[in-house]
Amino acid sequence: MRILLVEDDAKTAQYVARGLAEAGHVCDVLASGRQALVQATHEPYDVFVVDRMVPELDGLSLVKAVRGAGVKVPVLFLTAIGGVDDRVEGLEAGGDDYLVKPFAFSELLARVNALARRPPVQEQKTMLRTADLELDVIKRMVTRGGVRIDLQPREFSLLEVLMRNEGRVMTRTMLLERVWDFHFDPKTSVVETHISRLRSKIDRPFAVQLLHTIRNTGYSLHAPR
Amino acid sequence: MAAALFTGAFAIASLLAFRSIHNDLGEKLDRTITDTYAVMVATYSPDDIEDLIGSVNAHVAADRGKEQIFMLTGPDGNGLAGNLPARPVPAGWATLQAAELGLAGEAQYRTFTGEFDSYRLLIGMSEADVSEINEIALTSFASAAALVLVLALAGGAALAINVQRRMQAIATTMSRVSEGELAARIKLTGNGDDIDMLSKQVNDALERLAATFESMRHISVDIAHDLKTPLNRLRLVIEEAMEAQREGRDVAAQLADAHAESDQINATFDALLRIAQIESGARRSRFARVDLTAVVAEIAEVFGDVAEDNGKSLATAVEVAAVDILGDRELLIQMFSNLVENAIRHTPDGTMIGIGVSADAGGANAWVADNGPGIPVGEREKVLRRLYRLEQSRTSPGSGLGLSLVKAIADLHGAALELGDNKPGLRVTLRFRSAADKAAHDAGA
Repeated sequence: MRILLVEDDAKTAQYVARGLAEAGHVCDVLASGRQALVQATHEPYDVFVVDRMVPELDGLSLVKAVRGAGVKVPVLFLTAIGGVDDRVEGLEAGGDDYLVKPFAFSELLARVNALARRPPVQEQKTMLRTADLELDVIKRMVTRGGVRIDLQPREFSLLEVLMRNEGRVMTRTMLLERVWDFHFDPKTSVVETHISRLRSKIDRPFAVQLLHTIRNTGYSLHAPR
Repeated sequence: MAAALFTGAFAIASLLAFRSIHNDLGEKLDRTITDTYAVMVATYSPDDIEDLIGSVNAHVAADRGKEQIFMLTGPDGNGLAGNLPARPVPAGWATLQAAELGLAGEAQYRTFTGEFDSYRLLIGMSEADVSEINEIALTSFASAAALVLVLALAGGAALAINVQRRMQAIATTMSRVSEGELAARIKLTGNGDDIDMLSKQVNDALERLAATFESMRHISVDIAHDLKTPLNRLRLVIEEAMEAQREGRDVAAQLADAHAESDQINATFDALLRIAQIESGARRSRFARVDLTAVVAEIAEVFGDVAEDNGKSLATAVEVAAVDILGDRELLIQMFSNLVENAIRHTPDGTMIGIGVSADAGGANAWVADNGPGIPVGEREKVLRRLYRLEQSRTSPGSGLGLSLVKAIADLHGAALELGDNKPGLRVTLRFRSAADKAAHDAGA
């Protein structure tokens, strides 16, 4: 994947660029919003990672301009302030996701991956399938190997999010945002508890494990590779 | 300028008054002439002109100052009586100069000439009096107008100077405020005029500004003071790591500690920032109707299993079907999360935690209670302070900001927060005003 990183703090930029390179992505780094605007509208990228505070043209204005130019590349904002208003501002400017500094690199990577491939087809699917696990969005029904599984509403939403992002690592924060609409970090193990409950219903009774824990990062649902 | 307008208005009024006086006097004069004529003509009979002549002569004798003029002429135009040299005059009213009448002097006369049986009788009166009165009136009005002009100019100037002075006072105060003297306020004259009202509003705004600044200053002092400790801890861990490295020992453990400590500092900082944002009241503008029972139900659902996993139980006691309050759903969720999580973390295994909603005429009440160790009476106020930890909780994870965040959110919603004894345990009660109530109150405030 080709990623454009707009970040003026050298250390952060270096850290992120190296991490992305190690993950197999190509990363271009620019420290000025104005330069980034030129680059973003002339070169093809899969994801933009934009710090809100960059010189010459701030992140928000940069993304507005990029969107205005018709570029539909997904944008992940990086920021020091994570208030609701700031988030909403970012989304309204054309951003797709928001990450508050300081962040764990694994969090950034997980979100970049989630943004990069969002085929519209996937979103319209009302029947999700991973191996022999099936989820019917309309009927709110889950079966595995033909056997009906009873889930609580929250467990169902959690499974749906994991299945829609099959194979991708979903961090705890991402799940808190998408499943619970929590934009703060509860100090107790809300996600872990529900994952554990879900696991006991969809994985434990079966031979093949689909729900995987990626240590220090998050969770991922996929058939064994 | 206002003075010119004022004077102009006065001048026009004077002019109208003057015209009115002039006309009145003129009419009076004419009436006198008419009356005199009528009296005199009454003494005439066609075959006896002597009575009329006598009457005219009598009048002439009575009037020495030549203010009244009389002239009686016969059929051939010859003078029969009067104090005027005989001359032909047309019948009717006329205003004639002395010279035209063959008299000396500059006076003007108002005359009436009547014709009867080819006799002519002229009665006239000098307009000297009228002129004099007119002149006096004119002079008076002119002087008055001049005086008005002067007063208006002076008054206007005085007013302008006064206003200017007060505006200057306002400008000076604002200047002092912007230089950092936040306690400066505009002095009110107390006469309740427009400038005073404006000054009062500016003072109110300055008051709010000062309060915000004070709050911000407070926060930065708190932050500086309370983050020093974990920052120091971080430094120590890093120093340990450096030493271990010098001695060739493995530093993995210290690095992990340092990482955890720095995360903790960030979390604390974020929480402090969040509290500051909430305290600034900015979120109030995005309040909407929120069903409190739905919020509580969601919390119960989210944390039910979590409580269980931690060896506790969570039960709900929602006493009403639905109750709306005006607020920010996201903040309310966070507030209740904090309360429930506190209960989960700071109580021993087996504790029963409860969450509930009730409503009465006064508004909606929500509570989170547990039968754990509770908070000692003396500490109940202190725990709401930022970064304060109870002795018994000092070693458990958490930044100590949970309850101060709860307080900040409660305050923002205008809800009363109470930490009470659940006998045993802690009972946290929140009293909200109903949505309709609050909306009405806020509108009137």
